[in-house]
Amino acid sequence: MEAESQASAIIPLALPKGAEKFCELCQREARLQCSKCRVTFYCAAEHQQADWVGIHERICQLLVPIRALTLCSLRQTSHTETQIKKLIEICRLVAQSKLSEGKHQEALPAAQLCLRCSIDVHGPNTVQLVPAYLLLAEANMGEKQAQNDFLSQAEWAVLKSPKCGLTIHHQLHRSLGRLHVAAGDLDTALHNFANDIYFATEEYGLDSTVTSRGYFLMADVFTKQGKIPTVHSLYSEVARIWHRHLTRLLETRKESIQNPPVDSFYAERVEVDEMLRTMLEFEQKDTRKDPARIAVVAHCLAMLSLVRDGMAYGILLLRSSKHRIKPVTSNDTRGFFFPQRLFLFCGL
Amino acid sequence: MNTAVGFLPEINANKSKQRSSTYYSRMKQTKESLRARLGPARPAESLTRKEIALFRSSPKQSICVRLLQEGFHRSFSELVSLLRSDQDWRATAEPGSLRLRAPPLVEQRHKMETISQHLSLAEEAERTGIWSTVCEERLLLGRFFSDPEDLWLRFYFYHSCTDREKGRFSRAATEARACLTELYLDRGELEEARQQGELCRKQAEDGGWLDSDGRPLKLRACRDLWKIYRELAEAPLAAEDHKKALTLLHEGNSRAAESEDKHMKGEAAFQVGLAYQRAGDHSTAKKFFNTSMEIFHSLDGTDRAVKACIALAKSLKSEGYFEEAVACLERLVAMSRSSGLHHRLIDVHLCLGNIYFSRSQYVKAAEYYLQGYKVACTTEDVARLQRAQVLVASAHAHATNGKYSAKLTSTSPAALQALLAWKVKRGREDLSVDSEDYYSPAWF
Repeated sequence: MEAESQASAIIPLALPKGAEKFCELCQREARLQCSKCRVTFYCAAEHQQADWVGIHERICQLLVPIRALTLCSLRQTSHTETQIKKLIEICRLVAQSKLSEGKHQEALPAAQLCLRCSIDVHGPNTVQLVPAYLLLAEANMGEKQAQNDFLSQAEWAVLKSPKCGLTIHHQLHRSLGRLHVAAGDLDTALHNFANDIYFATEEYGLDSTVTSRGYFLMADVFTKQGKIPTVHSLYSEVARIWHRHLTRLLETRKESIQNPPVDSFYAERVEVDEMLRTMLEFEQKDTRKDPARIAVVAHCLAMLSLVRDGMAYGILLLRSSKHRIKPVTSNDTRGFFFPQRLFLFCGL
Repeated sequence: MNTAVGFLPEINANKSKQRSSTYYSRMKQTKESLRARLGPARPAESLTRKEIALFRSSPKQSICVRLLQEGFHRSFSELVSLLRSDQDWRATAEPGSLRLRAPPLVEQRHKMETISQHLSLAEEAERTGIWSTVCEERLLLGRFFSDPEDLWLRFYFYHSCTDREKGRFSRAATEARACLTELYLDRGELEEARQQGELCRKQAEDGGWLDSDGRPLKLRACRDLWKIYRELAEAPLAAEDHKKALTLLHEGNSRAAESEDKHMKGEAAFQVGLAYQRAGDHSTAKKFFNTSMEIFHSLDGTDRAVKACIALAKSLKSEGYFEEAVACLERLVAMSRSSGLHHRLIDVHLCLGNIYFSRSQYVKAAEYYLQGYKVACTTEDVARLQRAQVLVASAHAHATNGKYSAKLTSTSPAALQALLAWKVKRGREDLSVDSEDYYSPAWF
């Protein structure tokens, strides 16, 4: 099938001395070569397939000018560097989108290539490597040792140059926090998430969706600790932020119905959906149900599906959320008018 | 390797002694001696992450992180927005203002810590639904910031206490309203102050609250309201809008009556009387002056009582009751002399002089003015002294005028002779008073 036609076998012994080829993914002795670009090598078909799906399909031809050692490429080192930087960016974006969709295994090749190229360009222990380390740490979700390794590297790089930018700080703390939660060390995790929220607020503001994700992660820790009122308070804050964001998106979409804008959170839809569903479940399981809160979260979910999947599914969810909103008392006019506004948006 | 100690003779004893002089064993010896010198290894006093973070991060970061760790994210949001608003204000403020001279809030650790402490307590209370504690904490924050450059913080916290949905009728919110009234009054925003004051009074009446120093809030609100109404009435009075001024002053009077402060009641009645006097309604004015005088007498505030009496006399004079006015003022002369109220004494004398002056009895008027002037010389009151001087001179001028005006208008030669004679002798005549006294300073 297609996978086999992409790779052709090479004989390691036939290669000149000093020109040994190593597998793209595991760095062992390579026996296969990508037939399209001929500069990428693999040890076995599984690795070739994994790499193809992970990143190689996108960057196959881009690797050729970088890896092929010709006289021209040796002279134009700056040109090669720009090409490698572009490659790093592509790898990063691919890895991030795969991670947001939840495909951790598939994100690994992209993240690894990103790291290797970054080391080539910037050097082994610099702060520009931190995003690559963070991606790798996230891709290795579940393998604590590997995660630990990468995060320690990242932390060390950040410690050496603390003025590296607020985004990097907040991403680092978020990853560290998640690691500690997985390890069970809740206090350190709280400390990390607190720092994460602080830096995210400094960078993006109090009402940003990035900060809201931080709140959600912290609420998770508090749930484990059993502090329910805090969790309620945090969830209501997250719901408020997302509600505002989604309402604004829907309004802009209504205005530009001809040219739907590229949503900034396109890649995070799965994450956000999961988050909202967790919140809704939590609110509903609570003994003292606050209908206003439940209504807000259900409304957010409905709006999200509307933005994401178009009208049909959105309307389905809308009807179900309207059903939940019904028990809301007449004092809470916001809850009552939600579904009506959404129907207006749909043009019904 | 001596598993059987003592069974076999030591054959390696000499060899081990030789070995002790090799490099490796020398190193080991120095290491051991060092360890012995340093003492037993201390238990690892490694700092925790949190302690390290305290050293490395800025005060703002450590306070914010602490708030978030404890779960107080709303306090965190509030603190961050306060700091941001401070920075925005500084970016657009005019240079040279008082608030700019102080360091920005983000650099003042102690203030940030206090804010975070109280806000976290308030958030804790809010989660459990105890609204009164929420308001108490915010009130405490408002009272904490006493520096003049922190006025914006006081306004912010008092407003956050009173503008809440739940808990705005609690004791703390009522006290915050009273503080807001005073702040607006100091700033000069009278309408705002009045609004807050009326709300405060109503709430304090409903609740019967006491403030943090133990004084009843209702009385405090009424006192502030009287001051507000008095200031509000100044503009209409200046514009001769007597009706509006009187409405405002009557409101103020009723508030003063509620405030149970006799001094204030007397003062309020006096102001109302003055307004009526200006409007021309002397009979009502007299009533109010009488009330004021009674209150001040009961308070033993002779000074103000005398002031009220002088005003009463003016009213009497305007109505035409000269004898009563004179009698009243004569009584006052004795009263103020005995109480040692010299400035009032001067006023009384001048007032008496005024009455006679208005009746064209210039000689008597001059007498009284002169007495007033003499008293003024003993005090250091320059304004009154100058007034007395002018009045004395004016009275004398009118007196002499009166004497010779008939001669001026007639055309007979006898009259002319008399005028010429007067021109020569003028200045050396006296009008029944001691010449030395009034020549030297009076003619300046």
